[in-house]
Amino acid sequence: MPTIRPLSALSLIAASTLVLAGCSSSAADGDASAESGAAGDATQTEETVSFTFDAAVGDPDDPDFEEKTVEVPKNPENVVIFDMASLDTWGNLGGEAAGAPLDSVPDYLSDYLVDDAINAGTLFEADLLAIEAIQPDLIIIAGRSSTQYEALTQITPNVIDLTANGPFEDQLERSVTLFGEILGQEDAAAEALAELQGGIAEAREATEGIGTGLAIMTAGDSITALAPSSGDFSGPVLRGGLVYDVFGVEPVHADIRSATHGEPVSFEFLLEQDPDYLFVLDRNAVAGSDGDAMADVVLDNEIVHQTTAWKNDQIVSLDPAAWYIVFGGIETTQIMIDDILSITS
Amino acid sequence: MAVVTEAAAPTTPTQVRPRRTWVGVVIGALLVVLSVVSLFVGASSDVSIAGIFDAESNASFLLAASRIPRTIALLLVGASLGIAGLIMQMLVRNKFVEPSTTGVTEFGALGMLGALVFWPGMPVLPRMFIVAACALFGTWVFLRIIRNVPVRHLVLVPLVGIMLGGVVGAVTAFFAYRLDLLQALMQWQQGSFATVMRGRYEFVWIAALMVVIAWIAADRFSVIGLGEDFATNLGLNYRRIVGVGMVIIAVITACVLVTAGILPFLGLVVPNVVSIIIGDNVRRSIPWVAGLGAVFVLACDIIARLVRFPYEIPLSVVVGVIGAGLFLWLLLRRRGHAH
Repeated sequence: MPTIRPLSALSLIAASTLVLAGCSSSAADGDASAESGAAGDATQTEETVSFTFDAAVGDPDDPDFEEKTVEVPKNPENVVIFDMASLDTWGNLGGEAAGAPLDSVPDYLSDYLVDDAINAGTLFEADLLAIEAIQPDLIIIAGRSSTQYEALTQITPNVIDLTANGPFEDQLERSVTLFGEILGQEDAAAEALAELQGGIAEAREATEGIGTGLAIMTAGDSITALAPSSGDFSGPVLRGGLVYDVFGVEPVHADIRSATHGEPVSFEFLLEQDPDYLFVLDRNAVAGSDGDAMADVVLDNEIVHQTTAWKNDQIVSLDPAAWYIVFGGIETTQIMIDDILSITS
Repeated sequence: MAVVTEAAAPTTPTQVRPRRTWVGVVIGALLVVLSVVSLFVGASSDVSIAGIFDAESNASFLLAASRIPRTIALLLVGASLGIAGLIMQMLVRNKFVEPSTTGVTEFGALGMLGALVFWPGMPVLPRMFIVAACALFGTWVFLRIIRNVPVRHLVLVPLVGIMLGGVVGAVTAFFAYRLDLLQALMQWQQGSFATVMRGRYEFVWIAALMVVIAWIAADRFSVIGLGEDFATNLGLNYRRIVGVGMVIIAVITACVLVTAGILPFLGLVVPNVVSIIIGDNVRRSIPWVAGLGAVFVLACDIIARLVRFPYEIPLSVVVGVIGAGLFLWLLLRRRGHAH
């Protein structure tokens, strides 16, 4: 990609300026950090974890997929994480991120960032200059950021893409196991994984025989119906879809197409389909405002009052950050399990 | 008033009069047919003629709680948006303006964003006041700018309006982006009647009130359309009439924005079609503009409900596609007739 070259040149200048600035404050470290690219790695690359994945290469709008294998250094120091589910798992296994798309990090994951964490861009786009300046040892991308693969490999070859391409549980197992190995926390990872698998099984048991369910998202004062993933899981794991896919809720209507933001529906639709349980994801609340009240206001009307879900008090609110932004990771999956288990209380 | 009517009358060529009758019949018939269709089309299969007489079904309840309010809202929104476009065209003396091509809608949306930021759970009434105030300010800004534009070319005026709207829209988008409200704002702006029901559509009656005021003041707007000097010479208080027009436009824009969202092109296309058929006399065209606007929105909403049944597609998409097509037809037709 020729367009990267002037960028790399620029960032090289930026990086060397930083190094020079570092020299003035601590001359002793200066030499070491200037050569960290070569010498620093040499001492740490003794132990690596091998990871193979499909990387998106070529045109970002229509990428090809190539199998790549990366030797990830163990206990890397500077890690940039674009994927919130990965940040969640990484942090829960004792890791810290030196950079992330700061604007998108939910409050409950902010502890997993170092104090002076850089803003690495947005969930979709990388700020290459900022990232290059901290010389990361490892960059983790997934889903929304997967098209950034080639650009980021210009900074470090250690870029891994954890985009979901299988059932949610396999995905969870893959990242938890991998991060456990990289961080040398294999036992903790296995323990966390076992606990989550137990929790998912328990939630599945809870949803068995409760009748039908429908996941909806409220945004503004409109509502959309959310879809289960398509059968072969070739597409991305869909937000509300996890209600059906992972937690076994029986969809009230078979033909909800797999649109990421769901299908617009009327209140009448809710009454006509009349699911036993309504799982409500409040898009308004993702923005961080006091939004929980919003979904309540939207649904508190005489038509919804006629539905079985309202009459039996079977409206389950889903944690917006967990289900909409993160959907994955150790802590988030626990939140999702708890949301589903709330139907038993 | 008598003087005014006589002065305005000659602007309408007399030979088009015979065509008015069948146009009126067609619009009236379409209104009735589409209203009935609108009552019986929807996600719930309960609502049918038979269902109404079946005590077991939800038909009567759904009809009263959802279908009738939705149909009334569609009628009033369609009618009032047409009128807002018509009044705007008279105030600016330009056929290609309406709230969404003059920045008025964008100012309203900025007000809505402000409401979302400072008071997320705000009830609809204060929110509508804020949106209306911002839309009024937007109308004022647009009229000030147009006053100071030396060349009032037919296409230049809406171009200035669209640029003004672009600037305001960019400011809104910037703050929405910084505050992570972009998607929320888009949801609010996207025109749709899917969640309209008893208890949350009543504000469109305020828009209907504006239509009545516009009707009462119709002749004055006809004269305003002839220019400030002409109107002043006829003894009209130009500024006051312009002020009334601005309030009508702003309040209609705000009502529609908080109830349904943005419905583009409607205020542009409907008055132009009516003008082609019966001319530019405001008093005469108001019922046609209102009727045709209502027919247009009703038809689009029925399409929006049926394309992906039982799901809905956003009404603004349907209105945009059909409205843009009609707009192109208007432009090309004008050229064909060497206007």
